[in-house]
Amino acid sequence: MSHSGTGPVVSFENVSKHYGSLKAVDGLSLDLRAGETVALLGPNGAGKSTSLDMLLALRKPTSGKIRMFGSDPYHGVKTGRVGAMLQSGGLMPEVTVLELVTLVTGLQPRPVPIATTLRRAGIESIADQRVDRLSGGQTQRVRFALAIVGECDLIVLDEPTTAMDVETRRRFWASMKEEVAEGKTLLFATHYLEEADQAADRILVINRGRLLADGTPAEIKARAGAKRMSFRLRGVNEPFLLGLPGVTSLDVRGDVVQIQTMDSDATLYALLDAGYRPHEIEVGSLGLEQAFLAITAEDDRAGENASAAVEEVRQS
Amino acid sequence: MRGTLLLARSEIMRLRRNRRYMISTLAFPIVLYLLVAKSAKATVYGVDFAAYYMIAMATLGSFSGALTGNAIRIAQERKEGWVRQLRLTPLPSNGYVIAKIIAAMAISVPSVVIVLLLGRYYGGVHLAIGAWITIAVVVWLGAMTFAALAIAIGYRLQPDQVQPIALLIYFVFLIIGGIFFPLKGFLQSVGNFTPTYEALKIATDVAGGASVSGGLIAGLVIWLAIFSGLAWLSVRATAETV
Repeated sequence: MSHSGTGPVVSFENVSKHYGSLKAVDGLSLDLRAGETVALLGPNGAGKSTSLDMLLALRKPTSGKIRMFGSDPYHGVKTGRVGAMLQSGGLMPEVTVLELVTLVTGLQPRPVPIATTLRRAGIESIADQRVDRLSGGQTQRVRFALAIVGECDLIVLDEPTTAMDVETRRRFWASMKEEVAEGKTLLFATHYLEEADQAADRILVINRGRLLADGTPAEIKARAGAKRMSFRLRGVNEPFLLGLPGVTSLDVRGDVVQIQTMDSDATLYALLDAGYRPHEIEVGSLGLEQAFLAITAEDDRAGENASAAVEEVRQS
Repeated sequence: MRGTLLLARSEIMRLRRNRRYMISTLAFPIVLYLLVAKSAKATVYGVDFAAYYMIAMATLGSFSGALTGNAIRIAQERKEGWVRQLRLTPLPSNGYVIAKIIAAMAISVPSVVIVLLLGRYYGGVHLAIGAWITIAVVVWLGAMTFAALAIAIGYRLQPDQVQPIALLIYFVFLIIGGIFFPLKGFLQSVGNFTPTYEALKIATDVAGGASVSGGLIAGLVIWLAIFSGLAWLSVRATAETV
């Protein structure tokens, strides 16, 4: 069953969570639409886990409003519309994997057949093992199983593939695609950029508790001056190159010039118009990783400038 | 409620598998009773020693079942994130605590029943059927106080703190509650106010045919109210950190 109605599956309206003077989440606003696969991407401490905790009614926002399926998140969780897997979530010890999956399946208003859950999570072969005697990767798969035991409409995963080996990770995303194909909405936090790039059709970049970018992986890459240009050219001064339109960074080694630019066409035309004739010209896209670093680095600089400005005001 | 009962069933299954827990709730009172019941000929709290010791050991079994298993488990399960995981399921928010209490109370039943049977057939205690049932119910329900205390401690303390603190509270209440030996003088005057003594004395009064004092019943109810209040505060205070 997928989300009925036209409203967003999840909405954050200017949500903040403060711990004393620390702003873990700072005025976050976003909407998730039914059927989307969305990656929440950010460095450690960006506010990803706090945001997911609030979405899952584990923590209350200091201010702002979170809605899930048009009502409060607690209601969504308790009516079995969300399947969730958190980094901080644990398992009941002293029981077997099968007993645990059976128990949590029994709590669901719309249970998934246990055999299906075991297969999707890839834990058929360890069903009779005791939960407290599993390896890290096996534990992670059981935790994933607990997120998919109900016919839910929204799946929330916090760094789901941490501690998984490459093969397990591949299987994980394959079974995740099955879930999404049924029309479920998927929100996952990650710091694996490659994973966000491959699995998500939308990426939310957050840093210091704020939303910095929201778009398709291609848009995110484009957003951060995401072209790299290189060529050979003798006898050009660096200030001139930095002054070209669109250029955000420059690296010159001998006659090899590497430029990162927001607008590769404008940069190149300006260079040619100035009478230069560079050769071995190459233009390419930045990877998501570089885009992400560019976006967060820009934000961190803005943060430092803002606190420097506050400091100046204080001193004057 | 169905979810809470399912969880309670799993909790009971886990407790039954835990050897250390079964020894402390089941084997300990049974063995002590077999060793000690016939070692003295005296009248204690108005009944024969064998009857006193039967009631004391039944109290020991049910109270320890209610406190020791749950307090440590709750602290561990909070730390390991199982409590958090459960909060992400449709289980009602109080389901975990209720399931823990149900499990602790259920697991206490066999120790109460077995010790009373031993009292009858090994200790030679003869009572009317109504008295047997009343004693069993009093000793068993009295353990609700410790079930609530277990929640209060388990939600408030770290796992490594729970063990020593729970054991300390447990032994203090057992000793000054007159569970291991009847008290005299100053200890008795302090012990009068413990939930362990109150449950024990209500039951021995029933066994001896004496009228049960309302103060003892009120005392148990007050302890239950205090521990339940503490439990409620502990659960509420940790709502954002489980």
